[in-house]
Amino acid sequence: MRIYRRLLRAAAPSLSRQYGAAMEETLDVRWRQARGRQRIRICCREGVALLGLAWAERLGERARRARRQQQVVAGGKARTMDTLGQEMRQAARRLRRSPSFSAATVLTLALAIGANAAIFAVVERVIIRPLPYPESDRLIELDHGSVALRIANGLGNTPGVYFIYKNRSQSIESAALYGLVARTLSDGGDPRRVRAVAATPSLSTVLRTQPSLGRWFTETEGVPGAPVVAVLSDGLWTRQFGRDPSIIGRSIVLDGHPVEVVGVMTPEFAFPDPATELWLPAQMSAAQGFGLFSQPGIARLREGVALETARAELQGLLVGIADAYPDDPRARSNVNTKLTFTGRLLKDATLGNISRTLWLLWAAVGVVLLVAGANIANLFMVRAEVRQREVAIRRALGAARLGLGRYFFTESALLSATGGALGLLIAWVGLRLLVQAGPSTLPRLHEIQMDAIVVGYVFVWVAVSALAFGSLPLWRGVPMTALHESGRGNTLTRHRHQVRHVLLGAQVAMALVLLLASGLMVRSFQNLRAIDLGFNPDSTLAFSINLPPAKYSTVETMIAAHTTIIDRVAVLPGVASVSATTCLPLSMGCSGNTIVVEGEVYPPGTLPPTSLVRAVGGGYFETMGMRILRGRGIERGDVDRKEPVAVISQAMARRVFNDRDPIGLRLAPNQPPAPDGTRRLEWLTVVGVVSDTPIQRDLPESQPSAMLFMPMPFAVTGTRIGPSASIMNFVVRTSASPESLTAPVREAIRSLDADLAVAQLNTLQAMVDRASARMSFTMVLLAIAALSALALGVVGIYGVTAYIVTQRTSEIGIRLALGAEPTGITSQIVMKGGFVALIGIAVGLAAALAGGQLIASVLYGVSPRDPAVFASTAIALQAIALLACWLPARRASQLNPTIALRAE
Amino acid sequence: MLSDLGLHVLLALGEGPSHGYAIGKAIEDQSGGRLNPTTGALYQALRRLSQDGLITEADGPKDVDARRRYFTLTARGRRAASGEAAGLDALVRTARKRRLFPQRA
Repeated sequence: MRIYRRLLRAAAPSLSRQYGAAMEETLDVRWRQARGRQRIRICCREGVALLGLAWAERLGERARRARRQQQVVAGGKARTMDTLGQEMRQAARRLRRSPSFSAATVLTLALAIGANAAIFAVVERVIIRPLPYPESDRLIELDHGSVALRIANGLGNTPGVYFIYKNRSQSIESAALYGLVARTLSDGGDPRRVRAVAATPSLSTVLRTQPSLGRWFTETEGVPGAPVVAVLSDGLWTRQFGRDPSIIGRSIVLDGHPVEVVGVMTPEFAFPDPATELWLPAQMSAAQGFGLFSQPGIARLREGVALETARAELQGLLVGIADAYPDDPRARSNVNTKLTFTGRLLKDATLGNISRTLWLLWAAVGVVLLVAGANIANLFMVRAEVRQREVAIRRALGAARLGLGRYFFTESALLSATGGALGLLIAWVGLRLLVQAGPSTLPRLHEIQMDAIVVGYVFVWVAVSALAFGSLPLWRGVPMTALHESGRGNTLTRHRHQVRHVLLGAQVAMALVLLLASGLMVRSFQNLRAIDLGFNPDSTLAFSINLPPAKYSTVETMIAAHTTIIDRVAVLPGVASVSATTCLPLSMGCSGNTIVVEGEVYPPGTLPPTSLVRAVGGGYFETMGMRILRGRGIERGDVDRKEPVAVISQAMARRVFNDRDPIGLRLAPNQPPAPDGTRRLEWLTVVGVVSDTPIQRDLPESQPSAMLFMPMPFAVTGTRIGPSASIMNFVVRTSASPESLTAPVREAIRSLDADLAVAQLNTLQAMVDRASARMSFTMVLLAIAALSALALGVVGIYGVTAYIVTQRTSEIGIRLALGAEPTGITSQIVMKGGFVALIGIAVGLAAALAGGQLIASVLYGVSPRDPAVFASTAIALQAIALLACWLPARRASQLNPTIALRAE
Repeated sequence: MLSDLGLHVLLALGEGPSHGYAIGKAIEDQSGGRLNPTTGALYQALRRLSQDGLITEADGPKDVDARRRYFTLTARGRRAASGEAAGLDALVRTARKRRLFPQRA
């Protein structure tokens, strides 16, 4: 709280004299009583109050002065003293007289502070407060992995596990399961696919949130057989129902069934993600058996329970699942997979490695701010030197050191405040762009805005820069001692140049670090782009159709509908071929299973290999542009006749068959044993091998996932394991531009069934671009930061060299007059600047080598110490630095000695 | 003329001598959270009140932070506070009469 005391002394000296110590004590107590955000609040409020006090003090002083002046005038001796306001006005006038200095300072500060504040706003909302729920640090994710299946995590939960945790765990207070479900909303207008989440009614207890209108689900609504009700998101309520409060109690039509709306959530509520539009009760009971691993879950820890304690307890409870479900063979087979509880804090699970990216960006803009600060410091030092004569005169006339301090402080305060105000504007614009361009995986992205905390953050930077730049000329105020020295700066500049060179070297070092980081990002991005997609995204359109179970209840009716869609779209003009799949590439796992190979024996305790399983239409590989490496693809005839054939990916051929020719071998997606212990497997004959396709783009797998493709009719419904037949993704390869086909495709679907909603209608290329959105977002922002640092650095080098040349004009003139070679003078100046840059580069390289691990996790396929990137960046920067020195140095050598000497 | 904050300080000191932090806390409580003066605003009000002779400094306990300063009401301060309260009371009665304020149960 010493800072407060100092600030108080500066803002309101008289109040500080009278009560300074007591005020410090009071604030001490307040500070100790406050926590976290309250402390930020105190900082902001007290800061603003200080400004108010300074204002009040000034008014008081002016009133006193007015009185005194009247007395003085009455005494016949008129003399005005400087006041804060007058100083400010004078400073403003001085700054107006040197517009280039003022503009350069204000703009540099505004850009640096603006960029900083924009990223800070994101960091503050996304990393520091990612979950908008009360006591969110007690929220954990419920997740499992399997030692035997070699699945580290991400299995999710089964209803059986959920009920065990819910009923037996001491360490968790409440738990909930949820799952994404697709529903078609037909309410008057065109049917529309809505993103719905089926959650156990306990979700609102776990998250401690309530709807803003109506109510959340009751426990009885989460029991199988209860009527289905719905809670709307604020967004859906606004878009679809015009914020009509009478929606509560009304019925909406979901998948052809009427569903009563019981509540509307608050606008902030975005669980599990902002795209969720609707919540439905997940209906489950312990009587339904153990179930399948699929659903994500969350829980709230009891007060004071650590995550580790809960982990240990839940891991222990997993041992009991076979006994808890004696009638369900799935429970026992799950024990065999050696389940592990892998839940993390929900905050960590939500953020993933985004936080690393954002910290990195924040650090990057922080470095830009430092580089900018070095530039401004240089400008101020130059200004102080130019003003030396004026300052010396003021001193000679008896101005106190304090008064001189005020002289510089008023200038730096004015410039910083203007820069800060402009910076706020830039931050506001920048934030809008960030929110629009940011990857949708950023939690709470839609809530990011300029709030009091961001404004406070800018305020702090303004105060820091005002103090730092204002005190700079005082700190190196030694030379302003005497009047007689001030006329000839050329003899005592050595010390000053040293300070300048240190600043310059630091700038080069920081710019290099940023350039290296962005260079590595660009390399990673190139590597990612170079990954073989395994399919051809050009001239293709994709869309998704969800068949409502009310109308399409069996696999046969679903497949018939999908086939009709393929046939209707195929005859549209401009369409080359059409096919369908239950899961597109880059759409994560979708459906996976263990695969039994005929003739192989799997001893107890071991498990068959795992693979992702997709059901596809005829000609799928040809339409996608995937390469068939061996055998043949899946043809229309296979689909129409439900031929038991399969095509496997290269990775699966390698992993499961070890280069044995797989064609003609038989395999089957595993099914859990029926209650009588028997398994009913559908054997498929391998007829071909296709190229691998990635399931995600931002974090490429070290090895491509194994994949099994089978004809569309082998898709499943209900509780059987396998790709679901109800949602199909259609792929259209076009001879015309894919965009021109969106309207005809919609029309074709409408003519088939007016209740079907066409969702995710987009080109495959757009999907590919979106999948790498985060990487490109980071790369672009880092590149902008690096280029700004480079530009500022170059301007700094150029400016300093040019300034030194100007300072040495007379010296150079003398040398030239005495017969020095002009090239010798040029090279001397360039060498000096180049040497400083070289040291800066060495320091930057050392820092980058030391800090490499910080960036390693966001890189792909490139070492954080990549020699090629390091060498090329360092050489390029050195070359740019030399050029920035050479331009002003050349001017020096071209001086006319007589003119140069006259400059004295 | 007493400011809103000034009156609240006098009311807070009605309980007896007190120091900066406690006065701030009392004001927050008695105003139902409506007023929560910053340290700067609070001491500005305290200075004004002592300049006007409504409060004065008092001796505090020996064993507390040496920086802490205690304030107490002067006789004039007491009169000012009760005068202000009487004025407010009259206002409330008028408001009741004109049905602009809930009647007492």
